[in-house]
Amino acid sequence: MATIALSSPLSQGNPEALSLSQQTAQYLQKYTPSRLPIPIPLLSSPESTDLWASYEKLLLSCLRTGDDKSAHECLEKLIQRFGATNERVMGLRGLYQEAIADGDTALEKILREYEEVLEGGSANTPIMKRRIALLRNLGKTNGAIDALVELLDASPTDIEAWSELADLYLSQGFFSQAEYCLEEILLVAPNAWNVHARLGELLYMGLGNNESNAPKLLAESIRRFCRSIELCDGYLRGYYGLKLTTDRLSKMIQKDPKVLSNSSSTTDSDEIPMPTEQIVNALHEKATSALAQIARKADSGQHSEVELLAVKSLLDKSAQSATR
Amino acid sequence: MADSVVQTIHRDPALFYWILFPITIVMILTGVLRHYFTVLLQTAPKKLPLAALREQRSLLRGVNLRCNASAISPSSFASRKAYLVSAYKDGTFLKDPENRGKAAPNPMTDPAAMEGMMGMMKGNMAMMVPQTLIMGWINAFFAGFVVLKLPFPLTLRFKSMLQSGVATRDLDVRWVSSLSWYFLNLFGLQSVFIFILGNENAANQMASQMSQMNPGAAGTGMFQPGQDPDKMFLNEAENLEVMEHEYILKGVEQRLLASI
Repeated sequence: MATIALSSPLSQGNPEALSLSQQTAQYLQKYTPSRLPIPIPLLSSPESTDLWASYEKLLLSCLRTGDDKSAHECLEKLIQRFGATNERVMGLRGLYQEAIADGDTALEKILREYEEVLEGGSANTPIMKRRIALLRNLGKTNGAIDALVELLDASPTDIEAWSELADLYLSQGFFSQAEYCLEEILLVAPNAWNVHARLGELLYMGLGNNESNAPKLLAESIRRFCRSIELCDGYLRGYYGLKLTTDRLSKMIQKDPKVLSNSSSTTDSDEIPMPTEQIVNALHEKATSALAQIARKADSGQHSEVELLAVKSLLDKSAQSATR
Repeated sequence: MADSVVQTIHRDPALFYWILFPITIVMILTGVLRHYFTVLLQTAPKKLPLAALREQRSLLRGVNLRCNASAISPSSFASRKAYLVSAYKDGTFLKDPENRGKAAPNPMTDPAAMEGMMGMMKGNMAMMVPQTLIMGWINAFFAGFVVLKLPFPLTLRFKSMLQSGVATRDLDVRWVSSLSWYFLNLFGLQSVFIFILGNENAANQMASQMSQMNPGAAGTGMFQPGQDPDKMFLNEAENLEVMEHEYILKGVEQRLLASI
């Protein structure tokens, strides 16, 4: 049991998932539940929440690495223990069926099954979520958005659903709706630094649509990145965003020094004043030096290679433009 | 009680085999049985219908907005506040809007509340019945026996604890009566049960009594039976209306520059 680390399957890398799924067969053999009608303590290893959580995790990593046979075994174990009508097991079963389905027709069939389950009007959240994911996979984005809105109307404190909805809206280019969704996440988890950074990214991405308001949005985006760094020291994504946004804002200031004062004069009293030029420049410097430090300590293994490459290319680009 | 004179009582060694041992074993076995009995009696937590879920989560959303409003901008807060307050006042989120304004149903007749009470009753039964039986058994067969001598001296105050059922004034406190041995077992077998049954066992009565003290924390959720959700919504609307909003991003740049 000690070999199965109970971290979230989302955060594990590919090699980790592979090694997990390779252990599965061994693990299944080792921890077979006793066949006695009544579990007798001291004779059989006691069942614990951890055990079933690791079965679930093994199932996910097996599906991810394409080891459908072991995945099926894990699923069988879970069904044996919790029954086929358990909501969570139903969700996992749906996941398995989707994984082994070939072609869209099979997926459509699974989708109909989900709809049948949901027809009774019961709150079967895992199946609802599977249906949404399947709709998205089948390319029916609008259907997925509608279903998510319906789910969120019933359960407006579901972070997972809100972030999925934000993602879907973003893929359709609805920036303000996506922003609303991310803000909802922040209302449940106000210290989620990744969501703060994501919100900053969103504001930055939305700039292209909205020229007149650009300095104000940029300032808001800068503040979001600042907050994410404040919550998590050395947060690569936060610094990256901070560098991009401050760079852009300082270029705007160079082009037209009145940008800051212009937009700040129009704000109402309860809005935050625009940052001054010194602050923008200081933040830019700080972000650059922090990123340089992160790039220097590249081999510490804290960040993935992709992220580090992005940091290096950003630093190179800004160095080039500086020398020019 | 003269301490210089060591009291000696000649006990039949059979007392040990036929009283001390049986009581201990019976206590352990009843604990184990009780554990399985409670596991059998447990009903799976009832699934909430979608409307009830919506009612609860919507109220929670208002609470979240009130607690964590500092994370969003003043304009976003204002729009959310306006929406939630008006929805709360109109009773949009209520499970059964037509029942609005009526008195809360009597918890005794409400089937959902009865369910919870039945669960508690079952737990109590599993606790009370074996206890009464064993107590009766011990009183009937072993009353008045002195079964064991503690190897260390104790003060006089322990007399009522260790010698219940033996009404002898001059007996040294170190002697333990059979009834007291039962009580010692009743309260002291916790670690034995943890060893046999694992950490989350239902054998121990102390733990189950603790959970009975606050059943609300265990499951039933935000709405206690007999509480009117409409009133809670109105209450929350009022709370939202009077709250003052402060934006956490105000001055975050200066904070960040000052911190590092």
